[in-house]
Amino acid sequence: MDFIKKRETAVGALFLVVGIGYLYLTSTIVRKQFIDAAFVPYILACTMCLLGILQIREAFKLAAAKQSGKHDTADYRTVWKTLGLVVAYAAFLEPVGFPLMTVVYLFAQFIVLTPSDKKISYPVYAAIAVTTSVVVYLTFRHAFDMILPVGLLSSFIE
Amino acid sequence: MLDLFLQGAEAVFTVQMLGLLFFGTVVGIIFGAIPGLTATMAVALFLPITYSLSASAGIALLVGLYIGGVSGGLISAILLKIPGTPASVATVFDGGPMMEKGEGAKALGVGIFYSFVGTLLSIFALMFIAPSLAKIALAFGPHEYFAIAIFSLTLIVTLSTGSMVKGVFSGVLGFGFSTVGIAPVDATTRFTLGLTELNGGFDILPVLIGLFAISEIIKVAEDVKTEKRATATVVKLKGFGFSVKEFFEQGWNMIRSTLIGTGIGILPGIGSGTSNIVSYMVAKKQSKHPEKFGTGIIDGVIASETAACSAVGGAMIPLLTLGIPGDTVTAMLLGGFMIHGIQPGPLLFVSQGPLVYTIFIAMLVSSLMMLFAELFGVRVFVKLLAIPKHILLPIILVLCFVGAFGLGNRIFDVGVIVFFGLIGYGFVKFGIPQTPFIIGLILGPMAETNLRRGLMLSDNNFMDFLTQPISGSFLGLAVASVVWHVYKTHSHKAAKVIASN
Repeated sequence: MDFIKKRETAVGALFLVVGIGYLYLTSTIVRKQFIDAAFVPYILACTMCLLGILQIREAFKLAAAKQSGKHDTADYRTVWKTLGLVVAYAAFLEPVGFPLMTVVYLFAQFIVLTPSDKKISYPVYAAIAVTTSVVVYLTFRHAFDMILPVGLLSSFIE
Repeated sequence: MLDLFLQGAEAVFTVQMLGLLFFGTVVGIIFGAIPGLTATMAVALFLPITYSLSASAGIALLVGLYIGGVSGGLISAILLKIPGTPASVATVFDGGPMMEKGEGAKALGVGIFYSFVGTLLSIFALMFIAPSLAKIALAFGPHEYFAIAIFSLTLIVTLSTGSMVKGVFSGVLGFGFSTVGIAPVDATTRFTLGLTELNGGFDILPVLIGLFAISEIIKVAEDVKTEKRATATVVKLKGFGFSVKEFFEQGWNMIRSTLIGTGIGILPGIGSGTSNIVSYMVAKKQSKHPEKFGTGIIDGVIASETAACSAVGGAMIPLLTLGIPGDTVTAMLLGGFMIHGIQPGPLLFVSQGPLVYTIFIAMLVSSLMMLFAELFGVRVFVKLLAIPKHILLPIILVLCFVGAFGLGNRIFDVGVIVFFGLIGYGFVKFGIPQTPFIIGLILGPMAETNLRRGLMLSDNNFMDFLTQPISGSFLGLAVASVVWHVYKTHSHKAAKVIASN
């Protein structure tokens, strides 16, 4: 089975799993009458399952000739590192606080995304990270009255 | 109408409003010009700033970003031969070769002028069509709104996708996410998984920011390390670079492209990204010299830029009159309206007439600002193209997080943007279109609420949806659009089989 066929089958299977999951959650809604809060979700869940089956059928019908000669040149190491940093940033934003976490996230993300032919400049990255964090925090705190979480710095920042 | 027009003008011609409009337009152009950044991202990024502004000031800023963002793509499309946004893809076809031939200044001048003309004409169309359409829509009841929602959903699926199955799934999934929270009519709590934050359902804005901005940033991470940077050559503009004779020669091209752009803009879910390519193809087909297209002629630049920018006014028509976004940026604008407690729809024209006209005037002023900013500031924009992406994108992500957090001052929304960012990236990788998802999410509650209200009114008789003339027509059109798409796909496949045999 070629890559495209595998991918399209996986997409179909995913549709089916999502549809079945949604159907299960819909079945937990207490029914009151035929047209109630579960009516539309049942239609949607059945449609999702049907689309999953159709997608798998389409994937199996894909001719071998459609096999693409193109290689996936994406740099997934950088993608995974970026995803990790984004998730960590979201997870620690509240306990660590916006000012500190933003500096850490930006500094690490600059390093991760620096093109291979460019030298990593730690002092410049650190300066940009600190300046951005301070400017964004102060702008939103004082100009737009937005209270961003300060976390570990709560005893130093009002 | 004149009274409202004057009230709108009075609201716009203040120092604060003009300043915000200029800022929005210039920042929009920068976002449009830098490949990888889009008008949708610009609006997402600046939404938090509008929290503390008045409704009209906030929306004027967003409108400026929208107009600048759609037009700005032409700068990189011509100078770098890389479309800054999907709205300027077709501009590269002739703008790039013109640049190679040493006619870069002329290509830029033509692009700037016709993107202004396209925007301006579409705003006039908006000003004349929207109030009349709103008057008609005032008579709509639940049956009509349900039918329009279903029609819009099917239309976006059939118009914007390669694979219909994936497109439908995307729309249905968006609809599914809209069912989270308290159900309409009987207020039953659904799919909240015990999270009280989900009682009110998913806010549109964090979902949009996640789906379009976060996923885009993750996507850029795929090749940012190996990407070869293109360098832009600075060109000196002297006027618009074309003669009066050329202007009259291109008259029909301009009118046709405006009609195509505005028409495509009105259709739900598709906008500038589609209109520029369709217009280019039509211009090439109708041209007396189609072989010259792609070699560097102004006809191609005019067709692309006029249509791309005229989709702006078109996309605002369904947003303002029916509350249905015409494209992804107007979906974001819908969120901007909601932040200020405004629900777009026909009643907006009755209850907030001055605000509607303030938006119209703001759009006119912004298009003028766009013209002058691009004409005189092109050197500055070219310099901004050199900002490294590995510095810019993480800062944009931080601002997206601030925007999501600021919406309700809760960390939950930050989690939502990450969650939908991952879904958006998954969509990109698996070739699933994102727009039907958003349209499903926005129109889902409209469809469900009106379906249930309609059934209550007609004693659970489904036939009423078909027998009432307007709802029946829209449902008929919805079925016709699906049948047409299935027929087109099958006949295309059959033609391929015959060709391969």
